[in-house]
Amino acid sequence: MQSGTFHTSYAGDMALRPYWVQRLRIALVLVVVLAFPWFADRYWLNLANTIALAAIGAIGLNILVGYTGQISIGHGGFLAVGAYTAGLLAVRLDMPMWITVPVASCVTALVGAFFGLPSVRLKGLYLAIATLAAQEIIIWLLTHGKLLGIGESLTLPRAANNLFGISLADLGNNDFVFYWITVGCLILTVIFVSNLFRSRTGRAFVAIRDQDIAAQVIGVDLFRYKLLAFATSSFFAGLAGALTAHYRGIISWERFTIDTSILYLAMIIIGGLGSVSGSIYGAAFMTLLPALLSNLARATSDVVPNINSYLPYIQQGAFGLAIILFLIFEPEGIVKMWRNVKDYFRLWPFSY
Amino acid sequence: MRNERRRFTLLALVLALATLLAACGGQPSTQPPAGGGGTGGGTGGETPSGGPPIKIGAIFDLTGATADVGTPYSKGQIAFIEWKNANGGVAGRQLQLVSQDYAYEVPRAEELYTQFVTQDGVVVFSGWGTGDTEALKGKITEDKIPFISASYSAALANPAETPYNFLVAPTYSDQLIIAMKWALDDWKAKGKSGLPKFAYLINDSPFGRSPLADGTAFARANGVEMPLEVPSPRGATDLTPQLTQIRDYGANYVFMQNVSSPAALALKNAKSLGLDIQFVCLNWCANELLIKLAGADAEGVVGAVPFSPEGEGAQVALNFAKEKGIDYGGADSTFVQGWTAMSILVAGIERTLKDGKELTGENIKNTFETMGPIDTGGVTPPVIFSTTDHAGAKALRMFRVENGKWVAITDFISAR
Repeated sequence: MQSGTFHTSYAGDMALRPYWVQRLRIALVLVVVLAFPWFADRYWLNLANTIALAAIGAIGLNILVGYTGQISIGHGGFLAVGAYTAGLLAVRLDMPMWITVPVASCVTALVGAFFGLPSVRLKGLYLAIATLAAQEIIIWLLTHGKLLGIGESLTLPRAANNLFGISLADLGNNDFVFYWITVGCLILTVIFVSNLFRSRTGRAFVAIRDQDIAAQVIGVDLFRYKLLAFATSSFFAGLAGALTAHYRGIISWERFTIDTSILYLAMIIIGGLGSVSGSIYGAAFMTLLPALLSNLARATSDVVPNINSYLPYIQQGAFGLAIILFLIFEPEGIVKMWRNVKDYFRLWPFSY
Repeated sequence: MRNERRRFTLLALVLALATLLAACGGQPSTQPPAGGGGTGGGTGGETPSGGPPIKIGAIFDLTGATADVGTPYSKGQIAFIEWKNANGGVAGRQLQLVSQDYAYEVPRAEELYTQFVTQDGVVVFSGWGTGDTEALKGKITEDKIPFISASYSAALANPAETPYNFLVAPTYSDQLIIAMKWALDDWKAKGKSGLPKFAYLINDSPFGRSPLADGTAFARANGVEMPLEVPSPRGATDLTPQLTQIRDYGANYVFMQNVSSPAALALKNAKSLGLDIQFVCLNWCANELLIKLAGADAEGVVGAVPFSPEGEGAQVALNFAKEKGIDYGGADSTFVQGWTAMSILVAGIERTLKDGKELTGENIKNTFETMGPIDTGGVTPPVIFSTTDHAGAKALRMFRVENGKWVAITDFISAR
């Protein structure tokens, strides 16, 4: 809390970002986001899109794990539901992207709510295993996809990538165009989720996380809100999955295995549980870590010969090391580190 | 505690900054060879006489699900570039391999491919798995990058759909059909009546399932009962349940579309179960690694080997490896396969330059389609690409493990 700020109106009191510093920061971030694609080449655009897509998915998972306290290791499966729903609609019914993406998100929300049913009876580790089952069931259906008539992979027609009749291919290269779409969706997601936790529903989620019995006693309908949390979380997983399908143009189940679910959990743990910006930091960190390591190795391969032959092991080790270091030194994630840095400068030169 | 935490925060911040700086510093495209691979990265180091080095992109699996065969394959590719450079390069220009491990993960493959193509400006690309090659096919076509993958999925052989993908071995579908042809002949030669029963023991991935539909169609057309499909789970340490399922089905021939380690495991488990079943390996488990891992249990296994480790072309590769002390874990045929695939890619570049054309993806593709047969020194039958067919090789020989060595048991057989 910053001193010297006095709210003189209800609107001021209710504002999501009450301080001018915060608004300035948002403006700066927006300027950078808008300027970035004009300077970046395709490699960095590709990375930015990957981060934006991962961030949407991670925010979705954070609603469930970070805010509502329900553990899920089935997130990869829900991403797959979104991707395949969008893919099948585009391939079979020739639907354009602006229809497939919302439909796929809603379908995923329903599937998520269905697999969230065990959460009514189960908690903690038991729920984790139940969601693991969801992951495995979904992937099994896809690998033995003769039921759904899917082969090993699904190629989406290029024509499906159009928004309200405007073909995306006409607007520039794929990475550049999708940057606006993925980042646009991410911004909408951030606005929606930030506001969600100021609403009755969001507060109910947090109450369930903190103490479910107490929440029930004060009148939170556990059944309804737990399923709602699963549905909202899966909605964003579906959104991320559907966008991935359209962006990549081809999907196979290999992209959505249990490893993916664990990666998303790692993202929100490293970024910060129960924080929207934390999910974005985590997604960026997990995507950039291997890329930066490999670029670092390339830059130093003059000085350190043979670094390339050790690189694969360094990359694997770095992933584990990052998680362990975070758990030891900053369990609250990158978002807390950022706060510490801010506090340090705000309080300087007095450290308390 | 608080102090400690702050120090860590600052340290992490500095580290992050340093990494970022180093990463940005690494961007200019005049990079040192990235394909050192443990054999002293001398690739492309010498001053070129006829112009700037020619850049070739590659992704390898050194740590992922198929690393057992991915590693010797990558060593073969790196070794070929070194050998070529030591012999004067291509038209006086050196070759530079820009390569990295992608751990058999599709997103990683997409990222590295984009980096190598857009930032390093590679003109051709050498890929690896089925899942990632199929995921990249749209981008490859858009970027016009001739692409030779170690995946021989039939879905990549039609130039009408994937004009820049080239296959240097018979497709997995053809390999399976050839293996089935051999099995039917073998059944007759053994004087057994009726028809044999087939089963598949496959890698649980697009790679594993790639040939099954075509193979099953062939089997059904020959009156064989619907083959049983059994996926072997990734990272399994015991395949007894899968083998029991195959035994209960009553299969006589089991076709394995898998890499060496799980295939060797299946052979060992089959031995301890005492199964009387003929195992037939397709490309990626029919190599010396299988014999090394399964030992005596590999005896009698039959394999479809598209890249024969005999022949003069293979001798050049193996001698070079011996001379340089390259350790590829004894997988001769896989090493030779990597070497040969790269040699075909480079043959296209060499011919394009010789014809006096500019080195663009489009020109190299056209050269491949019109240059006629490419000789691989007896490793494969001559490889021919055309404007209507990018499956360069059609025939292979069946081998059998006898006294711990692969021995050819047939002449070249083709699928059609």
